[in-house]
Amino acid sequence: MHIKKYDFDYSRRFFMDKMAKGTMGAGVLTSLMPLIGNTGDISKAYPEELTNIEAFTKGKVKTGDIIDANNVEYIKDLIDPVAYLQITQMGRRIRIAPTTTDATELFPRDYLEATLRNQGKGAFDANGNVVHKLDGKPWIGGAAFPDPQTGLEAFANVTMSWGRHDTAVYAIEDNDIGPDGDIEYSYNLGWCEKNTVGLVSNPDGPYWEGHEDKLRYQSVWFTAPNDVKGTSFLNIWKYDQREFPDLFGYLPAFKRVRRFPTNQRFEPLVPGITFFLSDAWGAGDPMLTWGNYKIIGRGPFLGSQSGTWQGDQENWSKDATLHGGKKGLNFFEVDFQLCPEVLVIEAEPVGFPRAPVSKKRIWLDVRNMAPIGYVTYDRRGELWRSFEVGYSQQKKGDLANVDAKGNAEWSWSYVHAHDVQTNRFSRFNHAKSVKGGLQTAFDTEDAYDKYLTIQAIRRLGS
Amino acid sequence: METARYRLSRYVIHHRWASLLVFLALTIFFAVGISRVELKTIFSDLLPSTHPFVQTYKDHPNFGNPLTVTVMIKRTDGESIYNPETLQKVWDMTRNIDLIAGVDHDQILSITTEKARYAQATPFGIDSQPLMGDHSPQTEAEMAEFLERVKKSPGSRAFLISHDEKATIIQATFIERLLDYGVVFNEIQEKIIDAERDDAHEIHVAGQPVLTGWVYFYEKQMLQIFGITGAALLISLFLYMRNVVGIVVPVVTSVVAAIWGFGFVGWLGDPIEPLIMVVPILLVARSFSHAVQFIERYYEIYYHVQDKKKSAEICMSVMMAPGILGIVTDAIGLFLIAIAPIPTMERFAVFCGFWALMLVPTGVFLTPILLSMMPKPKNVNQIIGLDGDHALIHAGIKHMLQKVSKLSFGPPAKITTVVVIVLSVFGLSKMLELKIGNPVAGSNLLWSDSEYNVAIAEINSHFPGLNTLEIIFEVKEQTQQRLLKQADPIFKMTELQRIVESSDFPPVATLSFADYLPEANRLFSGGNPKWAPLDHSDMAVQAASGAVLFGTSPKAFSHVTDFVQQNGTVSLWYKDNKQETVDAALESVRAALDEIGIDHDNYRVRLGSGTIALQQSINDTVDLYQWYILGALNLVILISCSWAYRSLVAGVLLLIPVNMSNVFLAMSMVYMGVGLDVNTLPIAAIGIGVGIDYGIYLLSRICEEYQGFKDYGKAIYAAVATTGKAIFFTAAIVLIGILPWYFMSELKFLADMGLLLVMVMLINMVIALIVVPLLVWLIKPKFVSSEDLLVGEGVDLSEYAGGEESLK
Repeated sequence: MHIKKYDFDYSRRFFMDKMAKGTMGAGVLTSLMPLIGNTGDISKAYPEELTNIEAFTKGKVKTGDIIDANNVEYIKDLIDPVAYLQITQMGRRIRIAPTTTDATELFPRDYLEATLRNQGKGAFDANGNVVHKLDGKPWIGGAAFPDPQTGLEAFANVTMSWGRHDTAVYAIEDNDIGPDGDIEYSYNLGWCEKNTVGLVSNPDGPYWEGHEDKLRYQSVWFTAPNDVKGTSFLNIWKYDQREFPDLFGYLPAFKRVRRFPTNQRFEPLVPGITFFLSDAWGAGDPMLTWGNYKIIGRGPFLGSQSGTWQGDQENWSKDATLHGGKKGLNFFEVDFQLCPEVLVIEAEPVGFPRAPVSKKRIWLDVRNMAPIGYVTYDRRGELWRSFEVGYSQQKKGDLANVDAKGNAEWSWSYVHAHDVQTNRFSRFNHAKSVKGGLQTAFDTEDAYDKYLTIQAIRRLGS
Repeated sequence: METARYRLSRYVIHHRWASLLVFLALTIFFAVGISRVELKTIFSDLLPSTHPFVQTYKDHPNFGNPLTVTVMIKRTDGESIYNPETLQKVWDMTRNIDLIAGVDHDQILSITTEKARYAQATPFGIDSQPLMGDHSPQTEAEMAEFLERVKKSPGSRAFLISHDEKATIIQATFIERLLDYGVVFNEIQEKIIDAERDDAHEIHVAGQPVLTGWVYFYEKQMLQIFGITGAALLISLFLYMRNVVGIVVPVVTSVVAAIWGFGFVGWLGDPIEPLIMVVPILLVARSFSHAVQFIERYYEIYYHVQDKKKSAEICMSVMMAPGILGIVTDAIGLFLIAIAPIPTMERFAVFCGFWALMLVPTGVFLTPILLSMMPKPKNVNQIIGLDGDHALIHAGIKHMLQKVSKLSFGPPAKITTVVVIVLSVFGLSKMLELKIGNPVAGSNLLWSDSEYNVAIAEINSHFPGLNTLEIIFEVKEQTQQRLLKQADPIFKMTELQRIVESSDFPPVATLSFADYLPEANRLFSGGNPKWAPLDHSDMAVQAASGAVLFGTSPKAFSHVTDFVQQNGTVSLWYKDNKQETVDAALESVRAALDEIGIDHDNYRVRLGSGTIALQQSINDTVDLYQWYILGALNLVILISCSWAYRSLVAGVLLLIPVNMSNVFLAMSMVYMGVGLDVNTLPIAAIGIGVGIDYGIYLLSRICEEYQGFKDYGKAIYAAVATTGKAIFFTAAIVLIGILPWYFMSELKFLADMGLLLVMVMLINMVIALIVVPLLVWLIKPKFVSSEDLLVGEGVDLSEYAGGEESLK
């Protein structure tokens, strides 16, 4: 006998009811977080229609299918508007992967454990910053609000720890494609981010002593081509999220550091890149420089949460999958999976009187609080830019990139950044290494001295 | 023996219902095409596509910023812009421009944007900050700080703030794919001009999107003028014909021709340029006049024959050859405009040429068919000028023409000949004074006192302005080493600027990517001015380029380099776009290019783009192609008319008056202060088409009359009084139709065309009525007496006479 209660539309009605009542806990059949804490298996929190694309689309789309312009209408409501435009107008293809039900595959292990360990301890202080509920000190690691009840809480999870590691060094290959489909700029760059509080893998505790007034150090430096080699930027984030980070740039040809306007968040760092600092991780600015956070929706969504780590390819390259755009060079063919429940959140740049954007909309997967969709709108309310990040456990078959404890690492895998108004596009591949010998690494101990001081960025350019 | 023309005429009239059905079917076919007609102004299509300047512009459309809107706000009460009220307005306007659809958010520049920066070297490095903080200065301290920052920003002082500190500009570039000119124009009016203009602030807006917006704005006005023109044509038709047939037949045939003309371009898929819509009015008027000529001739015949079908057959038969010849030469005149390689003119030629050609079926065939079906009007005698008491207009015109005709034969002919020769020589001498180009400050599409052109003049008087000459440095083959990061092209740019600036005719300002490098070099080298000069090495240039582009989008420099720094421009600003300025500017730049060379190892230097170069490209083309068009037209007319009259003398005889008309048109333009440009290019061709039409009708009638009178004087007298009347009416009706455009159109383009069309019709009328008969009288050519003329209108109506009186 078919149980009417769990018919096809049950989850849709459930999410609508949840939004209407303002109840925000994740999970449909039961609460999500306890399941993650107990077994890591989230499948009991959702009916089959939210964990199986075939059930959701009534058989029209199956795991392993390629979504393109011919069948995108079946899943139109499950992707962001820029991805829809890319598929319908630029020949983009995405591959449907199975929904990940083992939560341990969606986090770096230390971060997941800290999240579970510190559940319920996060709170906002009088200034709106995230603190430990009991002592009012800076946050102690993991997602501060694993079951967020407001848009700000959800955003805090992303902003407080971008890459979910205490320290991460990413080797990145960037290609910037113009409206004609030609690659106009190509860069190799390194990106380092090191949290100073909320540490999850630090044996000495959640704080880096002497740096508790900061949230993170972060730097970008270019290793190729020659005309930008050694050009670098250093961002120093204060813990107080009302304040702008200090931003320094370094030009090796002059051996000079340039201090940039602190609110220069909507300009590219080097020519050609369709990426602003404001876009990073969907939460590139201190969270209190934005405001009017609202959860405007909740429901299933397609996002890239697995299967995009190409450990078996030379330098983790995805170039073999390139397609779409006028010259077939725009997109990586990547896996998207049905994410059972996302929060759709909007925020406005209230701290930027000259911001060219009116709002950003972000789709956060409640399983791991990863931003799997991000678009901005111009001040007319027209769709403007997207910053699509794909995440993946760094494991493929028997191959794996493992942490110190032998667990497979988890990180971002690619970025598609698209300005749909001028049709300029950047794609980043998270590579194993880039020219100059820089290698991707997590939780390295010497990152601060090597990459995250003014002296360090001077040295990188020499 | 029955001629082929007569047999065809009889066949058509005998099968008039079937013929009508064919007309109906074709009209339905073309009517369907009308739904695909698009009225659209494409500015780049007004440029001659084969001219090297235009090719340079099309290869590098971003230089000269054609899609950039410049807004100038000017303080008018004596205060400077450095006060809270004005700066708040600049802040608000900058933010509001960002709200306009299609704007490129990365390419908005004013003293309030983050892109307007000052930089200073400090012990801790280079500190680069926006001129303005997160709000416009409100307090004295904030204002003082702002002033200090402006002083440290030479670029802002040169290009964003006027020398007298009473004006500042905001620039916004639009994305072509998203640009809707009408929307941009309306939003600028509403959000910028209406919102911020007040007693103490003038606001002026310029740029191609705004200019196009103005053209669209005036297109609405065009509809009103069309209405007035249509009413004027109908009223004049009514006053002349005073019966239903005389109104219905011209209107129906003209509407059918119009449907075919519009439908044709609809099926072709070519957009119609609304700026040339005055010419279709000419075609409607010409269609009316053809119909009126047929009607008059029809009733002349009917008066004798008293049988509608028979009259229609005869009328069609006698009018067919001169009608077709006149119309076809008219159409060829229009088609030949396509010789000029200006896409708008090519489309115009196809559209109007086809429409004109369709006056053959509608005028020559449909008119008699309809006449044979319509009831006989009561005023036939009046129409053919017999009933003097009741046909004041007709009789008056006839009387006046009879007097005019006497100037062309007999003793007065000698005086007339002398006068014509003297006037022609004088006209020729004046023709040499005709200027190429028709410059006004701003756009020649609009009047010099139009809001847009006033804005251009104001901006030009406060800033380097909008009249630029762009000299493009173009990479031959793209390599990883970007051209504008190499020493040689950068130093060549600087050298070019130096040579031009020190020439006898220096520009008001110059700018290139090279100008940004020394300042970056100075700042990043520690701030001392001695570090500004660049080493002549790729490494030094690359370093300085990197410093310029550090932390910014290449779009911020899209006025001087493309997105990938492979092509750049040297912009030279000139105070105006008068022809003397254009000529001197080009001369000095060509001399400079001779010095620096145009062909280099990996790049070439191309002259040029910008308003100065594009204006010159049009003038060069007009100057050259007017002769091509004129020559081709003369050749076509000579061949066709010589063949039709079986006489080379006839061809030459007809060419003399039309070319004479062209000389007088040029003379008139000199006196009117109008130069020869793209607006006036088609007029000469149209004029010659019209003139030859008149000549053919009149000469044919003279031949016909000569058959009866065997006397040149009497033949001229009769021909001018009859066919001359139709010519007079044609010129009058075109004048009535087109003259309102001159007085009412706020688009100077239309007004210029309208006025010159009126001039050309009047000149051709006078020349046709006087010079054609005068030449016949002086030459007394043999072909006039020939009975074997293709275009002879002769017919012995007594063979068909069934009625009251005879004309003779």
